[in-house]
Amino acid sequence: MDLSILLVYGLSLAAIYGLMAIGISLLWSSIGMINMAHGASFAVSGYAAWAVSTAAKPLILAAFGKTLSGTIVMAGLCLSTGALSGAIMGGLIYLLAFLPIHDKPNFAVRSLIVTLAINMASVQALLWAFGPKQKSLPKIFGMGKIEFLGLSVRYDQLGTIIGTTVILGLLLFWLKVSRKGLEIRAMMQSPEGAVLSAISVRWTALPVTMLTGALAGLAAVLLSQTIFVSPTSGAVPLIKGLTIALLGGLGSVPGAVAGAVIIGFLEAIIGAVPFLGQRYVLFGTFLFIITILIIRPRGIGGLLDKARK
Amino acid sequence: MTEKTFFQIGQRPQEVTLPVSGSEPLDRRRLPFTRRHLLKWRSRLNPKTLRQERILADKKPLWWAIALVFLALSAPFLSNSALTVVSIFCIFSAINVLWTLIIGTAGIFSLATLAVVGIGAYCSAALNVYLGLPWPLMFLAGGLSGLVAGGLLALPSTRLDGLYYALLTMGVAEICRVFVQLLKPLTPCNGSINNVIGFIPRDWVLQRPGLLLGFAGAFVLLLLSLLVFRIVNSERLGMLLQTAREDEDFAQAAGIDYRKARMQVFLISSAGLGVIGAFYAQYYGSISPAIFSLDQLMLLFAMIVIGGLGRAEGAVIGTAIVVLIDKGLLDLGPLRILLVAAIMLLVTLWTNNGIAGAREQFRSWRRRKQSEARARRTEKGGDVMPEEAIEIHDKQAIYYRRFDKRLRDHLKTLITPEMIAEHHRSPLGQHSDGLSRVLNYFRRGDVTDKYAIIRQSGGQFHAYKIVAFSGVRGAPPRLVDDRIHEGINEAYHAVFLLRVNDLMES
Repeated sequence: MDLSILLVYGLSLAAIYGLMAIGISLLWSSIGMINMAHGASFAVSGYAAWAVSTAAKPLILAAFGKTLSGTIVMAGLCLSTGALSGAIMGGLIYLLAFLPIHDKPNFAVRSLIVTLAINMASVQALLWAFGPKQKSLPKIFGMGKIEFLGLSVRYDQLGTIIGTTVILGLLLFWLKVSRKGLEIRAMMQSPEGAVLSAISVRWTALPVTMLTGALAGLAAVLLSQTIFVSPTSGAVPLIKGLTIALLGGLGSVPGAVAGAVIIGFLEAIIGAVPFLGQRYVLFGTFLFIITILIIRPRGIGGLLDKARK
Repeated sequence: MTEKTFFQIGQRPQEVTLPVSGSEPLDRRRLPFTRRHLLKWRSRLNPKTLRQERILADKKPLWWAIALVFLALSAPFLSNSALTVVSIFCIFSAINVLWTLIIGTAGIFSLATLAVVGIGAYCSAALNVYLGLPWPLMFLAGGLSGLVAGGLLALPSTRLDGLYYALLTMGVAEICRVFVQLLKPLTPCNGSINNVIGFIPRDWVLQRPGLLLGFAGAFVLLLLSLLVFRIVNSERLGMLLQTAREDEDFAQAAGIDYRKARMQVFLISSAGLGVIGAFYAQYYGSISPAIFSLDQLMLLFAMIVIGGLGRAEGAVIGTAIVVLIDKGLLDLGPLRILLVAAIMLLVTLWTNNGIAGAREQFRSWRRRKQSEARARRTEKGGDVMPEEAIEIHDKQAIYYRRFDKRLRDHLKTLITPEMIAEHHRSPLGQHSDGLSRVLNYFRRGDVTDKYAIIRQSGGQFHAYKIVAFSGVRGAPPRLVDDRIHEGINEAYHAVFLLRVNDLMES
């Protein structure tokens, strides 16, 4: 296979996995919750974007016709719906899995169980409401290829890579400069210290859950350019996101990015090697992650003594 | 002697008690080859009836026996579909009981339970189908393969902790599923092994006798896994690990190698899970990669979470609930999983440790509420708090203080400015009803801190001061204040005012 296609494919996979993994990692390090409902946020936002785009399609066609501006409006609508519904799912997770039990004993395990229940419930609810049939989102980046520095890139791959980079850049910038970002970073460093500095755990957790939900929603819209939306479509991104967050070291944003890039390229390479092929992708990545975790128990970016207990 | 009857108050009437005859020696039979007794009888003297009696201190074995006997006896009367549900319940309970051993007793948060079961099932089924291994040896093969799989899984558990290990083991299940589906010989039938010849004869399969035999096997499996749980959890290994659970550093300092104990428990339960896998393959006559799927694992996890992590009864209760909903209410469709998820959510939000821990949680909640209510009722110097009561040997004193508190509360309501004026007018002689009650109460008071009037010597004839007795023989009374009262009636009234003041402040 051509090396350039491999590079682009690996990067686009890395971008989407990075969005999922950073959400999980951020949530764990700031409020100590493993969010198993991240996949549910993913699937729900995919469906929300699908529903809104099918409803708005005639309107946009009537207003703009098949023009570039129409595609842009559609893209904006899809992305904002995905982000918004993801944020609403995040709020729901906050209300169910964080607020009632965050000061009770055994919070880490109990929140994991609650988010797992939310995941099961929302997958079944989607299955019930929309049926098992797959839905496809509109191509928000249009169809076609461009030649870029000698590489042949599909529009959706390019859009995914650029979109993710912009979103992650904005997120990291916001974390760096804003007041709320400072509070979140303080919570990541030391929850007790943050509380002693008059940072409210409850009011910091709400934006974090909503933000990570929105990230999952964006990932859903972006990934649905290549795969379809289905009730169980959240399972694979969830598992991938979790394992990449583990590989990068839970709580480490650079680690998560590095892990996403490594796994993205590993998948692209395993898929491209002739005698392995697509069927061994999951197998190979898991073996790789297990090996890395046995060598470095806290992942790539995690330090043994600094990790959150 | 007439038999005295008491009001049925509290929980004592519900206790299972046996009368003890004084002429017969106490019979304490042990289980053969062990030092254990079947039931935990405790002898004690009933302080009310003044008779010796025997109380069943731990009623759990009774409930277990009732439930299991009921299950076994009801099976022949069930319909075919219900019999299948009950058999599945037995198999999953057995899996969950052993899983509880891993999560609760060993404290290793492993999610690879179904993976170990599947490995045991696949190995034994493959040996049976391709090499013609007879079915009794399948259990051995399953157990051995489970032991090997458990050994491999146990290696990283010492390096990784908690959630890292949990997520890693989830990945292991996924690897197993993909591996089985990719195996070349199994590709024609989509990764499953069919036509396993097990303990159910070929022509009985899906017939009434076959189902009954399958249930009997599953029931025996459940009993065996409960036995393993009892032996591991409550004997030496479990005791060692309980110390480690409470304080790892202390356990290490006390010379307990808790890592080794954890490994042993993990290996024992993995071997058990392998045996269950062999049974699973025989019961269904086939094994498919669905056993490694995430959905199945989540359902299993829901079972032990609803029941309560770390307790055998929790594992069984949770399995009963989830299997009943998932397999018993088939016509509800996808609503079943929603129901399971809702139960899981509610149980996790409301209880600290599942349904099995709910009783304990309710009791501690009730105790807290009771003590709060007591604290509201009791003001300073009044009633005896229960914590204090157990240290007062003379129980009469407790009731006296309660009576005294109520009396004082009543007397406080009687004291009015008019009454004080009445005492000021005539400290001695006939008084109104209220005042005489108050004065009677004052006269009955303890000698300690009782007030007395002392006449001043040295030229002052009608000058009085007020003192308070120390209550200790030989220690002189102390002066209350320096005020000098002119006339005995003034002094009487001053003492009265002091006592009223003390009463109102108490």
